Amino acid sequence: MTWFTFEIFVNPFYKHHRFLPLVTTIAWSMILDGMMLLLFEERPRSILPGLKKTFEIQGARISVEQCILILLTLVALLAFAYVFHRTSFGRKLRAVVQHDSAALSLGINSAVLHRVIFIVSGVFAGAGGIFIGIDQNLSPTFAFPLTIKAYAAIIAGGKGNIWGAIFCAYLIAGLEQVLVGVHWFGAFYVPAGYQQTVALLFIIFFLLLKPSGLFSSQSRTA
Amino acid sequence: MNFVYHVIAIIAMSAPNILGFNLIFGRGKIFHFGPLGVSIVAAYATFLTTMAFGSYPLGLVAGFAAAAIVSAFFAWLSLRLDADGFGVMSIAVHLSLLAVVLNWTSLTRGALGIPRVPRFPFLHSTVDFMIFSTIVAVLWAFVLWKIDRGTFGRKLTALSEHEWHAKALGIDRPFIHLIVFLIGGVGAMLTNVQYHQYIYLVHPSDFGYPAFIFFVTVVVAGGPGSVRGCMLSLVLISLLREGMRFLPLSANILGPVRLILFGVILFVAVWVRRDTLFPKQRTV
Repeated sequence: MTWFTFEIFVNPFYKHHRFLPLVTTIAWSMILDGMMLLLFEERPRSILPGLKKTFEIQGARISVEQCILILLTLVALLAFAYVFHRTSFGRKLRAVVQHDSAALSLGINSAVLHRVIFIVSGVFAGAGGIFIGIDQNLSPTFAFPLTIKAYAAIIAGGKGNIWGAIFCAYLIAGLEQVLVGVHWFGAFYVPAGYQQTVALLFIIFFLLLKPSGLFSSQSRTA
Repeated sequence: MNFVYHVIAIIAMSAPNILGFNLIFGRGKIFHFGPLGVSIVAAYATFLTTMAFGSYPLGLVAGFAAAAIVSAFFAWLSLRLDADGFGVMSIAVHLSLLAVVLNWTSLTRGALGIPRVPRFPFLHSTVDFMIFSTIVAVLWAFVLWKIDRGTFGRKLTALSEHEWHAKALGIDRPFIHLIVFLIGGVGAMLTNVQYHQYIYLVHPSDFGYPAFIFFVTVVVAGGPGSVRGCMLSLVLISLLREGMRFLPLSANILGPVRLILFGVILFVAVWVRRDTLFPKQRTV
């Protein structure tokens, strides 16, 4: 699916202008949403139906599935970090990301690596969807707010900085859980319905103060 | 015949908002994906004030003021963030405003919406709405056409083509952005004041993702920045959307089919206009 998306909705347009894929992928997401609605209807579904086995740690309840998901996420992140920073393939990836043409002149096949990067990102997105489906419920239209939050994390982390994006993804998720449903200073209370809003507004106001993001890095110049 | 009047009224009512968005996104090439955020605020501020105080003028003043504040906020964001960052963050603002409307039930009635919104005293039937909205749409299109062809339009085009060069020639980017977003806000106000009176209801579902896609599709298909092209595509795509009601499909199939169809139209429109939607910078 990711490869198909790249070949049809990204690559032919990226050559014309780097912003065009933003519009074409919105169109593609609409088509996919419509197809999902036709196939699965709007009602939420769960990948693992039934009650989950939970246990208590220091008063906090956590399920076995959640523990496995946390471990799998850590393994995926560590594997990614190793490939990205410790292998020649990772160095090639970083070279293409930093300067496409310069990498090409050094003999790196950037066209293939673009596809590889896109497919790897799709695999991670798919894993994220499956993890959410195991932990919570799935519905055909649940992905749109998630995409916005993911992009917010990328911008807030400083574009081009993978670890900044990962940190900000955890920051957004943490804010969503911590800020709502709590009586702050015994005075005001943020209802659970504002869970996504509070985190996104926090990121927006943060970006107004520091538009380049939390961990922005200057690209190399001669 | 009444259905034809209804379709003409709906098209004419949508025109101001879409033409305003066309000036921002089409002509200015500003990645503004939150026009419906302005619409939400304009509609709720207008009708909540009107119903609370029983005064149309007060409601209109509140609506225009609220639309202006949100538009100015979007303009500020557009100046602070990169183009694609602003695109996504404007959707985030839109979603946030929608969440506020859905959750502040004591004021907005949440998902139930505000029913029985009052109409202007001179608007009663569908024909009244059709005539009034057509006059408003034609006047608004003429105003935007004049703006587009005038000094302001040229400055906006210059900024969209090459920001640094335009600034070097003395074009004030913050001022141009503020004005173009305020024009978009006025367009949003004109559309929402008419449309919600017409259907007697302000409902959060009118400000969702499909409505935003409709906006983008119309602007891209009509030729970004072109007032005439945008009006023509608005008429054709609205006729297609309204005409689909006659297909022998149940409501739970028609909705997704419409979504797929508009996705395909948007993709084809971008494909056709891939050289003009975001043109490459001119070089010597």
